Amino acid sequence: MTLRVLLVEDDRELCRTLKDAMSAEGYEVFTAASLSESFALLTGLGARPTAGGAPVDMVLLDLGLPDGDGEQLLASLRKKHTVPLIVISARESDGQKVRLLDAGADDYLVKPFSIRELLARMRVGLRHRGTSIAPAVTRYAVGALSIDLGTREVLLAGAQVHLTPTEFNLLARLVRSAGQVVTHRQLLMDVWGAEFTEHTHYLRLYMAQLRGKLEDNPADPQLLMNEPGVGYRIVESQG
Amino acid sequence: MIPLPGIDASADFWPAHLRRAWRAIREAAMSGTVATMTDEDAITPRRMARWPWAWACAVWAAAWLLMLGLDRHIGLAQAAITLVLASALAAIWLPVLASLATTTLAVFAFDWFLVPPKHAFSVELSEDMLLLAEILLLSWVVTGLLARSRVLATRARRSARHADQLRRLGDALRDCEDPLRRGEALRESLQDLLGAPPMLLLLRNETPAPEDDQASATLGEPSADDLVGLWHCVRLCRQFGPGTGHEQELPALYLPLRGAEGEAFGAAMIPVNPAEMADEQVLAQAQALCDQMGQLLHRARTQRLAESAHAHAQGQAVRNALLAAISHDYRTPLAAIMGAASSLRDQASKLALEQRERLAQSIVAETRQLSRLTDNTLQLVRLDAPGVQLNLDWESPDELAGVAIDRARRHHDPERRIKVWAEPGLPLVRCDAVLFSQMLENLIDNALKYSDPPAPVELTVRRHGQHIVFAVRDNGPGIEPQWREKIFDVFQRGDWRSGSSNSAAQRGAGVGLAVCRSIALAHGGELKLRQPAQGGSSFECWLPEAPAPGVDERDEAPEGAPS
Repeated sequence: MTLRVLLVEDDRELCRTLKDAMSAEGYEVFTAASLSESFALLTGLGARPTAGGAPVDMVLLDLGLPDGDGEQLLASLRKKHTVPLIVISARESDGQKVRLLDAGADDYLVKPFSIRELLARMRVGLRHRGTSIAPAVTRYAVGALSIDLGTREVLLAGAQVHLTPTEFNLLARLVRSAGQVVTHRQLLMDVWGAEFTEHTHYLRLYMAQLRGKLEDNPADPQLLMNEPGVGYRIVESQG
Repeated sequence: MIPLPGIDASADFWPAHLRRAWRAIREAAMSGTVATMTDEDAITPRRMARWPWAWACAVWAAAWLLMLGLDRHIGLAQAAITLVLASALAAIWLPVLASLATTTLAVFAFDWFLVPPKHAFSVELSEDMLLLAEILLLSWVVTGLLARSRVLATRARRSARHADQLRRLGDALRDCEDPLRRGEALRESLQDLLGAPPMLLLLRNETPAPEDDQASATLGEPSADDLVGLWHCVRLCRQFGPGTGHEQELPALYLPLRGAEGEAFGAAMIPVNPAEMADEQVLAQAQALCDQMGQLLHRARTQRLAESAHAHAQGQAVRNALLAAISHDYRTPLAAIMGAASSLRDQASKLALEQRERLAQSIVAETRQLSRLTDNTLQLVRLDAPGVQLNLDWESPDELAGVAIDRARRHHDPERRIKVWAEPGLPLVRCDAVLFSQMLENLIDNALKYSDPPAPVELTVRRHGQHIVFAVRDNGPGIEPQWREKIFDVFQRGDWRSGSSNSAAQRGAGVGLAVCRSIALAHGGELKLRQPAQGGSSFECWLPEAPAPGVDERDEAPEGAPS
């Protein structure tokens, strides 16, 4: 069964290019140029068993639509479904992008982006379907590093790495969303608690400690990637 | 002698010195009637200026004692000389009419007491008659001359006082910038001159809207009627009130603050006593004081207009240069994209797969270039705007370097020439991460563009005194000395690294480096260019170290785990 993608984008040229590119990869693409159009489309499509009852398997949402805010669509979707949603934004809308990520969007892409990047992000998003309900990922491996969330074991080139509880919690939070960006706010909230959401310096210091323990050159990270102004991302698992 | 028009025919009849003397007497007499105020302006030495009548009486008494006492020992001529002397001395203290009267009286007394036949007004000898006439005339001339010099002294003193007042007002006006404080200085001067506190109306704007509160300021709380008068005075730019020849019956004097020809920048209203305004000099002085303020306001306006015109012209020039530089930078990648894309569209069937891939690759690369250019231009405009808000947060220098390196590698470093090193244990820095990594990416991109492979490009972060220094160093040919300061200007473009064979060197770096400098400055830092002794260039961002907040948490390895 082909996967259905809803592309909400008001620029017709870009919309067509993206649609063609995704169709070539075997996705069934529905496009909408406005909020109202996308609501109408979602109502008309009907539920799909593969998407956990949602009408589509994935949503690509452009910010700055002619008739309103992408946040409304996200909120309405999140009420019922956990369908993966990727925000497509121009750089000026940094604040809105972070707000959408905090509100439950899975990832974001800054315009202009390459099709390769888009398809890669879509694959990650689809793989994570439903993970926010039941953490499916328990084992993570990339390069010489392997992490077992169940046994809280972290091995680097076969040797055990000793992490403090906070370091481990932080790493585990990133691993659960491997390949996806996790905003500063989400990390602070999940690892330290709601009252710490403004304490980004905690995050900086613990990320520096983690990098010191896991990366060859902390200033040239290969594993724990920083998205300035947005959050962190651990590279996708290879095993 | 040139005959003066307007002088009557009898002029020739009188000798010139007599005519002058008569004019002096007449003027002195008039000034005496006009202004008894001249008392304080007498030409007597200061110590003898008090009790003028006492002094005059003493002089006359002494003279009469001398003349009557020595009557038998001196001749009539000596006595006559004594009388003239006494008359001259008394004239020093007495007002001109009193002096003339006492002198005339003294001559009759002289005739009565001393001229034979004594104790009679009749005169025996005709030469005595002549003597009496001469005494009288000489005394009058002396009195007239003294009175004249008194008038001149008074005038000189008054003009000195007025000049001094004007100068003091000028100083006071220069000393304060605030128009209201200047107005207060003018009010003090006018009050000093005319005795009453004046009301002032000052215009703020170029084109005054009548009775507009915003366009004007008032000093001295004028009533509504006063305000109407003041506005009337401003609009007509004419004085009126007592002494001005217009609307003499008004209880106050209205004077415009004249700046340029026929243009008033405000008005003053001074309640005056009509009698005081008989002296034109006082009116002229009051107007001169007002005009001084008016000229200052005029000058301030002219300067303001000139400055705004200059700023506007400069802003226009800057904008034009910026647009020219940016549009050039945009056209270059656009041309490459257009070329590659149209070639793919029109010649796809004739091109080998390899060629098509190269064209597509070129489109992608040039699009990235355009995208970065757009980001830079937007940031430049944003950072140049007043009151720009940065998204400041505590950031780790490692991460900032890491992000820049990662982006640069993905986009413009196929040969992997970039090396990065950060000093361990650096403190957090307070910055806008998006902007800061944009700056580092630009510097790296710049270094890659202007040095040829395989020479490495290094990004280092280290502590230097109270600063965290992010340095991007290349091993290119360096920058010509004459370009070292200019390369940070937006509009500067040129072959400033002429030694490089890299074709990208021909492209503008202006916007990129200019935005880097703006970003560094916005963070309270500095962007410096250093030319290391071993060659190449090092662009360094010096960021002042700030005390970072600590982490208040116990976080230790779980129990039982090896430490």
